[in-house]
Amino acid sequence: MDILLVMCVGVLIGNRFFPEKYKRFNAKLQVVCTVLLIFCMGVTLGSRENFLEELGSLGLTSFLFYLIPAGFSLILVYGLTRKFMTSRSEKQKDSSKADR
Amino acid sequence: MSARGFEKGRFTDREEKGQRRKMVILAVAALVGGILCGLTDFGSSVTGFLVGHRDMILYLLMFLVGISIGMHHGLIKKIREYHVRILIIPAGIVVGSIAGGMVCAVLTGIPMNVSTAIASGLGWYSLAGVTIENLAGAQMGSIAFLSNLMREIFSFFMIPWIAKHLNYYSCIAPAGATSEDTTLPMMFKYTNEETVVLSVINGVICSALVPVLISLCFNF
Repeated sequence: MDILLVMCVGVLIGNRFFPEKYKRFNAKLQVVCTVLLIFCMGVTLGSRENFLEELGSLGLTSFLFYLIPAGFSLILVYGLTRKFMTSRSEKQKDSSKADR
Repeated sequence: MSARGFEKGRFTDREEKGQRRKMVILAVAALVGGILCGLTDFGSSVTGFLVGHRDMILYLLMFLVGISIGMHHGLIKKIREYHVRILIIPAGIVVGSIAGGMVCAVLTGIPMNVSTAIASGLGWYSLAGVTIENLAGAQMGSIAFLSNLMREIFSFFMIPWIAKHLNYYSCIAPAGATSEDTTLPMMFKYTNEETVVLSVINGVICSALVPVLISLCFNF
């Protein structure tokens, strides 16, 4: 919930006060934060006891438990959004990249 | 020039591909570098500081993403138009994941209740790992941890492909509960502001559902 609150403050600032000329700087700072977060995730994993052993022995089963549920979710969401949100989906691809 | 075209301030397809490649390389390098630092204790004071302040980095990121969303005028109006259809994506993710858990139970021989509980982690590896470990032992806990971690990591790298070949909404599906934080920057980079907002809403709903689903599935 804190995250949502912080984001809402950002939305308000972006909507009312944030100067257009800093848009690119904002995007670059987002990349820096993302990279730092992934790095932290790696550090946490690497410092986990027996991480490599776990990965070796349970890797294949874990991979199945990732692949099948994620794959089913993807197929289902794709089908549902195509059926119920089609017009927007099609518009999105054309309009959004133009804003980047 | 391609259909996506080139105008001042817009990406051509080649630029877009270059950006994607650069981001994926950066992400892989950061992950591998982090794992190596964690394994070897290299630069532990710096890495300790970063890990200790991870929440602050996440808050900063969310603030910056919020600014970008706020700069996109008329977005809230668009989101309001969805009404109840806003629940389609989290519903698809939950049903798809549990169905996937059932298939995994058949393939691996792990009991159905444990298998669906593992799949109910929806990418929230820390919570799923700890909860399943308490409920079903260390081995199942490790599978829950690793599989949900893979879901987070791989969805990170799948988002660009899904955005290009399927539709933007589908990018949220593999991300599951992580669509409100870790995978959000990729959503922002490869989809549009509307999908980013849907992604946050989906992440909040899925995160709230994970503990309930794990418990329900395990006790079913």
